Amino acid sequence: MRIEDVICPFCGCLCDDLVVEVQGTTVVSVENGCTLAHEKFTGDNRLQAPIKRDGRTWHPVSYDEAIETTAQILLEADRPLLYGWSGTNGEAQSIGVHLAELLGAVIDNTSTVCHGPSIMAIQEVGHPGCTLGQVKNRADVIVYWGANPIEAHPRHMSRYTTYADGFFVKGAFLERKVIVADVRETETSNIADEFMHIEPGGDYAVLSALRAIVRGKADIIPSYVSGVAREQLVRVAEMCMNAKFGAIFFGLGLTMSRGKYKNIRNAVELTEELNRFTKFTISPMRGHWNVYGSNEVFTWISGYPFAVDFARGIAFYNPGETTSIDILRRGECDACLVVASDPGAHFPKQCCRHLAEIPTILIDPHVNVTTHLSHLQIPVAVTGIDSEGTAYRMDGVPIRTRMLYKSRYPSDREILEKIYQIVLKEKGP
Amino acid sequence: MKVILETKPRKKPRIPIEAETIIPQNFLRGTDITVFEGNKERVLDDLFYISVEGPAVSPDQVEIILRGDTGMIKRVGEYMNAGRIVVEGDIGMHCGNFMSAGEIVIQGNADSWLGREMRGGKITCLGNAGHYCAAGYRGEKRGVRGGRIEVMGNAGDFTAEYLSGGEVRIHGNAGDLAGVELREGTLVIEGSCSRPCGNMTGGTCMVFGKINDLLPTFKSLGIKEVDFEGKKVRMEIFRGDVANRGKGTLMRAV
Repeated sequence: MRIEDVICPFCGCLCDDLVVEVQGTTVVSVENGCTLAHEKFTGDNRLQAPIKRDGRTWHPVSYDEAIETTAQILLEADRPLLYGWSGTNGEAQSIGVHLAELLGAVIDNTSTVCHGPSIMAIQEVGHPGCTLGQVKNRADVIVYWGANPIEAHPRHMSRYTTYADGFFVKGAFLERKVIVADVRETETSNIADEFMHIEPGGDYAVLSALRAIVRGKADIIPSYVSGVAREQLVRVAEMCMNAKFGAIFFGLGLTMSRGKYKNIRNAVELTEELNRFTKFTISPMRGHWNVYGSNEVFTWISGYPFAVDFARGIAFYNPGETTSIDILRRGECDACLVVASDPGAHFPKQCCRHLAEIPTILIDPHVNVTTHLSHLQIPVAVTGIDSEGTAYRMDGVPIRTRMLYKSRYPSDREILEKIYQIVLKEKGP
Repeated sequence: MKVILETKPRKKPRIPIEAETIIPQNFLRGTDITVFEGNKERVLDDLFYISVEGPAVSPDQVEIILRGDTGMIKRVGEYMNAGRIVVEGDIGMHCGNFMSAGEIVIQGNADSWLGREMRGGKITCLGNAGHYCAAGYRGEKRGVRGGRIEVMGNAGDFTAEYLSGGEVRIHGNAGDLAGVELREGTLVIEGSCSRPCGNMTGGTCMVFGKINDLLPTFKSLGIKEVDFEGKKVRMEIFRGDVANRGKGTLMRAV
C-alpha cells in the first residue's frame, strides 16, 4: 500500500510530504524523507513484550501486570519523577500531566536538556517569532546560530530557507544570504556567506557586541570579540539591518553553552533591536519531533512548559530546582517513569546512577540505553507509524500524525490511561 | 523565646523538606506546624525534635535554631517579617525568600536562591552560597529590592540577578554573570568573577578581585579614587551595559 502526505515523526521539522510504501506491518520504502526519516520508518528492532528485571536477568510479563506494577510504584513514591514525553503525541502528554497532578509528582520533558533555556528567555523578554512558511516566502537573510541543520534537521534548508523558493524570494539560492555563527566549521558553515567562528563560550559577548553595533555604539567594541573581528561584526550587523526580512534560527550550541538562557535572551533582544530597522524573527531549532507539543500541552494544563512540580498539589516551576537533571543529581526522586525518551543516553553519569538505584519504568517501543537502567519496560506503538496523534512543529504549528498500519502494540495513550485509572481509583478524584 | 528544631533521622534523607512555615511569627501560636516532605504533608514533630525555651509576645522575640541534617530543608524564613533564625549547619534552597525584616544566620553553606526577592532584613551566610544568590524568581523583572545579604565565602553563577535595591556583599568569588540584569542597588564582590553585569541598566557593582572576560559592551571612564567603607580605593570605572541602556556602573579595583 502506498500512502502519500505522511508526517515524519523524527525531528521538529515534521515534514509532511513523505510517501511511504507499506506491506502488512512493514514499511518497505520512504520517498522524500531524509536519511533520518528513512531509518525511523524502516528500522524495526522493537521490544516484543513488557519485560521486568529480576536481579541480573529479565522476564517477560503481561501488559496488565506491567501496568499494575507501574501504578503501585508511583503510588508508593514520595517524590516520583515523570520524564520524557517529547517522542509521543499530545494526547498521551495530556494524560501524563494529569497523572503527575494526581500523584504529586514532578513532570518534565526533554526541553530540560535542549531548549529549556530558550523558553526561560522567552518568559523574560518574549518571542518575536513566526511560522516557517513566513520564513520560506519572505526571508532574504537567514542566520543559523549554534545550529547545524544539514546534519540535525536535513530538510530544513531545502523546505524553508536556503534552497526553498518563496513567494517573495523567487531565486532563493541566489537571493538569500546565509550567516552562520558557531564554535567550529560545520557542513552548514561551509555554505554560509558569512561564518562567524566564535570561541567556545563567547556567544553572549558576540551577541552583546552586535546589539551595541545595531544601537550605533560600534566605536566602543574592541578589535576582537571572542575571536570574531569587529569588522566582521559590523558587516554582519549591516547585512541584518539591510535585510528585507531576516530570520535567526538557533540550536543547542547557544542554549546549552556558557550563559545558557542569557544567551537566548541576548539573541531575542538583538532581534528586537533589528526590528527598529527591518523585520526580523528568531526561532529555536527544536530537536525531538514533538518536544514543542510537550511544552504546549504542559502549559495548557499547568501553566508551565516543563519542570513542573506538583508535590504540593499546585504547579510549581523553577528550572535548576525542578528540572530532571537537578532532581536526579541530588538524588531526590524515589521512582521514575520515563516515557518516549532515552535519558540514559543523554544524562550525566550521576543522574543515570540514581535512575538505576530507584524503581525506573520505561515506556518506549525500543530497547535503548535507559532500558539497562530500568526495572521494567513496556513496549508501545510508534506515533506516526502504527499509532496516531497530534504533534507540534518547531514553529508551533499543530500537525496530526497518521497511523500507517495497525499493529499489535498498544499506544502510549492506552497504557498511560490504564495507569491513570488505577491511580485515580486509589487516590480518589 | 528560643525554639530549637533538631532533625530526626529519615528513611529517605535526600527527599527535600519544604518548610516555609518555619518562621518566627508562626511559633507564637505553638509548634502545631506542618511541612512537606516530598508530596506528603508532615507535622513538625514527625521530622524534628522540638524544644521551646521561654515565652514571647511578638515575633521579634522569637529565635529559631535549626540543627542537624538541614541541607535539604527548603524555604526556611520565607516571608519572615521579624525575629531571628540561626542555622547551625547547611541550609537548602530558597532560604529567606521574600523576607522583609529580621535576621537569618547560616553557619554552613546555603543552597541556591538564598534571599530570593528579599525586601528587607539581613541574611549572613558564613559559608558559600549556591547559584542565584540574591536573585529573582523565574520571569520576574525585579530581584532583591531591599535589605542586606552577606556571604563570607563564595557565591555561584547569576548572583544578584535582577538586583533592584539593597546591598549584596560576597567576600569570596562570585561565579559567571554576577549582577546580570542589574537595575538598582549595590553588589560588592571582594574576590573574582566572570562576565559581571551583562545587560545591566542601572545600579553599581564593585569587584575587588579579577574580572574574567569583561564584556565588550562596557565603556571605560578611567581610574578614580572611590570612597568605600571610609577608605579611598582606586577603581577603574566602566559605564554599561551599552548593549542595553548603558546606565549602570561597574568598578574594578586597580
